[in-house]
Amino acid sequence: MPAGALSRERDVREAYSAHSGELYGFAVRSLDDAGLAEEAVQETFLRAWRAGERFDPQIGSLRTWLFAILRNVVIDLGRARSVRPKVSQGGIEPAVEPLDEALLSWQVEEAMRRIGDDHRRVLVETYYRGRPYAEVAAELGIPEGTVKSRVYYGLRALRVVLEEMGYED
Amino acid sequence: MKTERCRDWRESLGAYALGHLPAEERAGLEAHLEGCPDCRAEVESLSAVALLLPHADPERFGPAPQPAPDLGERIAATIAADRQVVHRSRRRRRFGFALSGAVAAAAAVLALVILPGGSDGVPEQHVQFASLPSGVTITATLEPHAFGTEIHMYVSGIRSGTLCRVFLRGPGGTRYPAGSFRYRWGDNSEAVLSSALDLSRTAAIGVHAGNRTFIAPVDQATAAIDNQTKADAT
Repeated sequence: MPAGALSRERDVREAYSAHSGELYGFAVRSLDDAGLAEEAVQETFLRAWRAGERFDPQIGSLRTWLFAILRNVVIDLGRARSVRPKVSQGGIEPAVEPLDEALLSWQVEEAMRRIGDDHRRVLVETYYRGRPYAEVAAELGIPEGTVKSRVYYGLRALRVVLEEMGYED
Repeated sequence: MKTERCRDWRESLGAYALGHLPAEERAGLEAHLEGCPDCRAEVESLSAVALLLPHADPERFGPAPQPAPDLGERIAATIAADRQVVHRSRRRRRFGFALSGAVAAAAAVLALVILPGGSDGVPEQHVQFASLPSGVTITATLEPHAFGTEIHMYVSGIRSGTLCRVFLRGPGGTRYPAGSFRYRWGDNSEAVLSSALDLSRTAAIGVHAGNRTFIAPVDQATAAIDNQTKADAT
């Protein structure tokens, strides 16, 4: 068993304090139900604990591993909830793609939460609300050029945070 | 090559990537980009981030939801109660690593969320991919579930960072996507994936990695798959 594997109850506690917030956030985002999300996080740590000796922190991140488990748990829960998933015409069950979309959405939203307030604010106003830069500048009491540069540094900050979170592509 | 001009334009690159730059300014910037690989690279990188923005819902930028304060304790209690079961299941080993004994042990819990049916009597399948480039190994374990099939995939020897798309193939040759993962050099952990196709109806498993598709038959469906593989190649 590799040293540091998730093999002791203490390891699970540490993993929980480090990652439960993010895992729960994604579970809520994809299941849209706080109770079900807690169930998903609980099941994730239980599965992680049971498979703990397969995890080696020397080679892969615990976070990535836990997210992979959670993803499966969410699929299971989602399918159980919808009782009988509808089968599309080609016979292919489409439930997985919305989940990946939910994961992507959650990652971008989480990254938005982690960048500075000033950066997030200008991105929300100019991009999501589609407001003119001059109007946003006037409202914030800053020059229009500063709005523009905050958009630039905001996108850069998002890029860095997404990289830190392990986002690729 | 960094120039004075770059400094003039740099802070407009974000607005440009978002498509917010007025036409006149855009034309000026594009003229600069023509001759400036550094700024072009920066625009490309920012544009990739800009493409992600529509996936987010600005209503959700507020504080992240938090689990109930006692969830950690509840999990710790569940795990403490689980110890004995785990010790039993860890004795089950195949392929040199502990396989999904944990899944069997989890059945009691999962019974709450997974309805039985659809996979009666189909044992889990171990699949070894053959005809791989030298140094590459791919193995998979397929487990039946009511929702379809859970796939544990182990890859080694391919280029680090390679995107691997996994699919199952049904009796008629229909592909059922099972998700994707990225192989990292030195990472011998498993990728855990799932597909809606019942294991009992799964004829083959395929991995598309680095422009190549590797297919391994599942159970006794070898002949059918060989034909299908040939059909694919044409």
